[in-house]
Amino acid sequence: MRVLPTLVDAVRALADDSARGFVFVRSDGTERLRSFHEIAAEAERRGAHLVARGLRKGDRLAMIVPDGEEFVLSFLGAIFAGVVPVPIYPQLSFKNIDGYLDTVAHIARASGAGMLLTTEATRPYIETVVGRVDTLRSLVTVDQLAGDAGRLDVHPDPEDLAFLQFTSGSTSRPKGVMVTHGNLAANSAAFMLEGLERDSAVDKGVSWLPLFHDMGLIGFVVGPLFTNLACVFLPTASFVRAPRLWLDKIHEHRGTLTYAPNFAYALVAKRLKDREVEGLDLSCLRVAGCGAEPIQARALRDFAAKLAPAGFDPRAFLPSYGMAEATLAITFVPLREGLRTDEIEVGDGTSAAPPQRGQHLRELVDCGHPFVGHEVEIIDESGARLGQRQIGQIVTRGPSVTKGYFQEPELTAQTFKPLPDDPEGAPWLHTGDLGYRVGDRLFICGRLKDIIIVRGRNYYPSDIEWSVSELPGVRRGNVVAFGVDTDGEEQLVVCCEGTGIEAAAIREATASCVSEQFGLNVHEVVVAALASLPRTSSGKPQRRKTRQMYLDGTLKRARVVQASVDVPGTLPKPEESA
Amino acid sequence: MPQVMMTSKDGVRATRDDLLSMFRETATEVVEKDFHHVLESSVISELAIDSLGMLEIIGSLERRLRIQIPDESLTGLHTIQDLLDVVEKRIGAS
Repeated sequence: MRVLPTLVDAVRALADDSARGFVFVRSDGTERLRSFHEIAAEAERRGAHLVARGLRKGDRLAMIVPDGEEFVLSFLGAIFAGVVPVPIYPQLSFKNIDGYLDTVAHIARASGAGMLLTTEATRPYIETVVGRVDTLRSLVTVDQLAGDAGRLDVHPDPEDLAFLQFTSGSTSRPKGVMVTHGNLAANSAAFMLEGLERDSAVDKGVSWLPLFHDMGLIGFVVGPLFTNLACVFLPTASFVRAPRLWLDKIHEHRGTLTYAPNFAYALVAKRLKDREVEGLDLSCLRVAGCGAEPIQARALRDFAAKLAPAGFDPRAFLPSYGMAEATLAITFVPLREGLRTDEIEVGDGTSAAPPQRGQHLRELVDCGHPFVGHEVEIIDESGARLGQRQIGQIVTRGPSVTKGYFQEPELTAQTFKPLPDDPEGAPWLHTGDLGYRVGDRLFICGRLKDIIIVRGRNYYPSDIEWSVSELPGVRRGNVVAFGVDTDGEEQLVVCCEGTGIEAAAIREATASCVSEQFGLNVHEVVVAALASLPRTSSGKPQRRKTRQMYLDGTLKRARVVQASVDVPGTLPKPEESA
Repeated sequence: MPQVMMTSKDGVRATRDDLLSMFRETATEVVEKDFHHVLESSVISELAIDSLGMLEIIGSLERRLRIQIPDESLTGLHTIQDLLDVVEKRIGAS
């Protein structure tokens, strides 16, 4: 299954279509269709502007453009000019801006961007970054790309760098994945044609995913342009404020394909009132994909139960696995199969044995198989290939696997390398994820570097975090578990955010929960001050950074609150002091 | 200070105290933790509410009050007072 060799070729091939294209829903609820014809013309025009402003093929353009329509058109403009766009996430509201500006400066510096493209509304918040980064010569707003700027005469090749995808950095500071046109073409063909069997005449994608992230950008902009798929985009913030909007747009536009991370399915299941389901008809939806974070079967089941009256078909669920280093998608479950899971014994963490009676179970979601022309293997610490139901690191190779990290040769060599049994062979992407196979199906267990090994047994921090987050006084997403070395032995530390008043109760409940469910003694439960755990751009706590802060002694611990006079009568009485 | 009663076109009526109570209730419901101690002077980034949670709360307030808060108004909010100012302005504008 083939697509055109570059994104520029693909967009130009759609330029005759003035009826179909991308619909952008704005935060005020109005919609605007940008036909493929307009998109191609606008990309051509904006590209010419960037060239007129001195950008040349291969130059990097940092982009902070919160508006979806402006983002897509400017991103494509850069691609048309052979300029390498570097999408940066917009500032999250309500947060201290200093940390955000540090990240922006880091990405601009690491990518060697010469220009920063933004909007008038965003400009005042980020202007100061320009002076902090040597390579940044100018800040331009999308409004300044108006009017005619002449003809473009740039022709990217498949081997050319298309854009830099900075990974969100749940593990370390963001690094720029080099994605070529060839990677985009290969992965788009894989997930859109082979995986989703998209039918241009019938299908319509609906997405609220952020466009600075691979799943939103490649899944719903690049892939659809390569394969002629009409799409509807709504702002991420609008979805979070009113999750029903996602379903409304699928209903109104008769959407057939959508995708979201696990949390979104959980959010809809939790927030949507039964009466809000009335009047919705989701029978049109043939694929509800799930990826980008660990998939919890319960979230999908709850969603399916909630939306059953709207005609939602649970066979539409399409769990998958992927990462930016492999462009986007690595494995997909076949169409119309839906959610399938595997129950394994929580054993020593090296094998995924089917359960025997009375043992602790772990239910893992089947994430499917690799695409044609792509390979997946499971390897042990020495790099040797492992067999069925043996847990090890997931590695993959094929035309979707990128060339590595921009100007990070060492990190690239560590991550993209041949296996020891074939030292001259093509490199494999070492994903850093742990998983196992049953038949050709892949199951994901957790992150390799986060694994906690206590007395030879492997524990997955996400399992512990999930259990602890069910405790009263602890909120999901505010718990971090990690291992620390004490006297040469690894020990478990759990950090959760809480108030000083609740601290003692949380500590006690956490210790007994971990002991009961995992048979493990907690070395220490730290109740951190509210909103003090370090987080990624998508709001997930950063495990390794939290661990470092714990070791450095810089974690802000919750203090026992003194009754205060300005809180009229609502302050709960301290039950016990820490 | 006397309370000013805001009335929107849709007939939603709320005083400033009502808005604060509404925020407390909504936050408690969305985040599933007790936020009844929140004051107008509380700093948003110091509450144990992540960005997604905060947006959920705002969405819920929008539905209850039948208002729409433009995204640009949400940038640079520091305290609950700032947020309630924006909400009040939208009630007056609707």
